[in-house]
Amino acid sequence: MDAFFYIILAVGLLSTVICLAAGIMKKAPNDATILSVAAVEVALVVYLVGSIIRVIAGETIAGEAWEFWGYLVTAMLLPPAAVYWSILERTRWSNFVLAAVGVTALVMAARMNQIWY
Amino acid sequence: MNEQHPKSADASVGDQGGTNKARTGANGNTRNTGPGRLLIAVYAVFAISATARAGYQILTKFSDAPVAYLLSAFAALVYAVATVSLAKSGSTWFKVSVAAVLVELIGVVVVGSLSIFDSVAFPHETVWSLFGRGYGFIPLILPVLGLVWLYRRRPSLGKADR
Repeated sequence: MDAFFYIILAVGLLSTVICLAAGIMKKAPNDATILSVAAVEVALVVYLVGSIIRVIAGETIAGEAWEFWGYLVTAMLLPPAAVYWSILERTRWSNFVLAAVGVTALVMAARMNQIWY
Repeated sequence: MNEQHPKSADASVGDQGGTNKARTGANGNTRNTGPGRLLIAVYAVFAISATARAGYQILTKFSDAPVAYLLSAFAALVYAVATVSLAKSGSTWFKVSVAAVLVELIGVVVVGSLSIFDSVAFPHETVWSLFGRGYGFIPLILPVLGLVWLYRRRPSLGKADR
């Protein structure tokens, strides 16, 4: 597991905790929950940029390269999709949808690390 | 449900949005609101991941285990149908939802059992192998939650209110 994974681990777990707490407290999606999901997206962008730099620098992906990029691109689609879905109906339940983003990104980052090494 | 408090202390704008409308009649969709939105979101994630996985398996190593990989594709289809039908209104889509969720439940139980008791015949991973252990057992919990949700929002409630 590399630094990219641990960044997403930290940001993803934090985002999930914030969103779960807001959902349990019966709050609608607010700045805190939406920005925490945005932070997950930023972490994924960092992973994307870092991975592009590493490939240009000459590192090779041990597993299937297109599988790695497929995971990364799919993971990057999740935060915007969840935010869109949550603001269509601003109830506490939308915060649970947002909470799912962090853990999903975390699992996908773990899989991306497995493919890379 | 604790959604029925229109003037709650929580001042968040639009917190109750959709809930009142959803309760107003047999024609209004009562399934894609509140907890239903979470259910649809999780089903969508599974539809995407199962489709990607099945596509990958079939394109790269189909001859290794055709049955297992066709099963993966079937599971992906079931998740996709469940996602769409849960989001749609009307009693026909309700029936489609029930069918898809039931097929999913049967699939995860049958494939989960086979993968344990006959691991020689089912050595290759699918979403439903080992009761979905590779996915945190969510494939096993999801259809149960889906059936509970569909039962609580069954169309007959809108007419007879029994």
